[in-house]
Amino acid sequence: MNESYPIVSFMGLRFNLANDLAILVSCVIIFFLVFWLARKPTIRPNGRQNALEYLIDFTNGIVKSAMPGKEGKRFGLFAFTMFLFVFVNNQLGLFFQVDVGGKTWFRSATADPIITMSLAMVVLVLSHFFGVVFNGFKGYMKEYVSPVSFLLPINLIENITNFVTLALRLYGNIYAGEVLLLLIRELAFSGHGLLGGVSFIGGFAVEVIWQGFSVFIGTIQAYIFVTLSTVYISEKVISD
Amino acid sequence: MATFGDTLFLLAAFAVLLVLVGIFAWNPVTKIMAERQDKIDSDLDYADNKRQEAQKMADQREAELKSSKEDAVNIVNTAKENGEKQRATLVEQAQSEVATLKANANKDIEQQRADALAAAKNDVADLSLAIAEKLIAKELDPSTQQNLIDQYINELGDANGSH
Repeated sequence: MNESYPIVSFMGLRFNLANDLAILVSCVIIFFLVFWLARKPTIRPNGRQNALEYLIDFTNGIVKSAMPGKEGKRFGLFAFTMFLFVFVNNQLGLFFQVDVGGKTWFRSATADPIITMSLAMVVLVLSHFFGVVFNGFKGYMKEYVSPVSFLLPINLIENITNFVTLALRLYGNIYAGEVLLLLIRELAFSGHGLLGGVSFIGGFAVEVIWQGFSVFIGTIQAYIFVTLSTVYISEKVISD
Repeated sequence: MATFGDTLFLLAAFAVLLVLVGIFAWNPVTKIMAERQDKIDSDLDYADNKRQEAQKMADQREAELKSSKEDAVNIVNTAKENGEKQRATLVEQAQSEVATLKANANKDIEQQRADALAAAKNDVADLSLAIAEKLIAKELDPSTQQNLIDQYINELGDANGSH
């Protein structure tokens, strides 16, 4: 992975094909995974269905911890899909990174701030939208001047910081992980002769360890992203 | 320079993924999960009802058992009383019968004794006469000895009549 990407312009919009490819691949993976897991569901679950139900219970638990009431039922599917999307995108670049002609064609989409900001924007828009849906426009506006009116600037800034931290936390973790992965790879191929053998073996071992750790980080970050998303949505949706 | 095209691509892809996951995985599986929840609820309710019914039936049986025990005791007691009564009447009957029999027997014995005495009196008179005739037949002349004979017979009659 380097900082040179295949970028095409189409109707005045710039597309980073590395991002789009990763998004497409992850969507296909997720869809076929859950489609396979959810085939022929039965009252008495078999192994595949158990796995899917465990995942659903897991994300439902995240939603329920932020929104225990009936509001939470609306966001089960969203949290489930978002978790799987972020999770798969975090892991993709750990196993496949493709550089062709000096350009990076494939790596984790979440290693790009524009993608994480887009995801955070989805959360932000949803939170404001459902804030209006559940509390009415008046109730939604009242949240900005509560508990007292002079906190209005802080409430406004909070919305921006929520958005920025949500996006950049994910981006930073995944980007740093993949950069380090690449650096370790370069270390492994850096030496020549006997030193090269030593550095290759050492680099290989460190690479494996760091990949394992990155899987862990990617999982934790997906969990954190979904948890914070539901918390931000619940702040708007549930009126005090 | 930012690639805003990716944002649109992401939004479109995520929306499509959301819809597809919803149709093919989320809805069927959550529906099954809700059905299972309902089934578990209804099964638990059913089990509760059955347990209560069983408890009720057990209570009923116990009560019936108790009442049947009481019935049995009553029946035994009544039978005992009846037996006692019957025994008393039987004994009474027997006693009265025995008394009647005894009285009859006494009467019979008295009669027979009186008959036997009367018969013996006649026999003794005839026998005495016969003996006396045989002893003194030769010498006695009925006319001369009539006094002696009468006296003798009278003495005999006195001896018998004193009984």
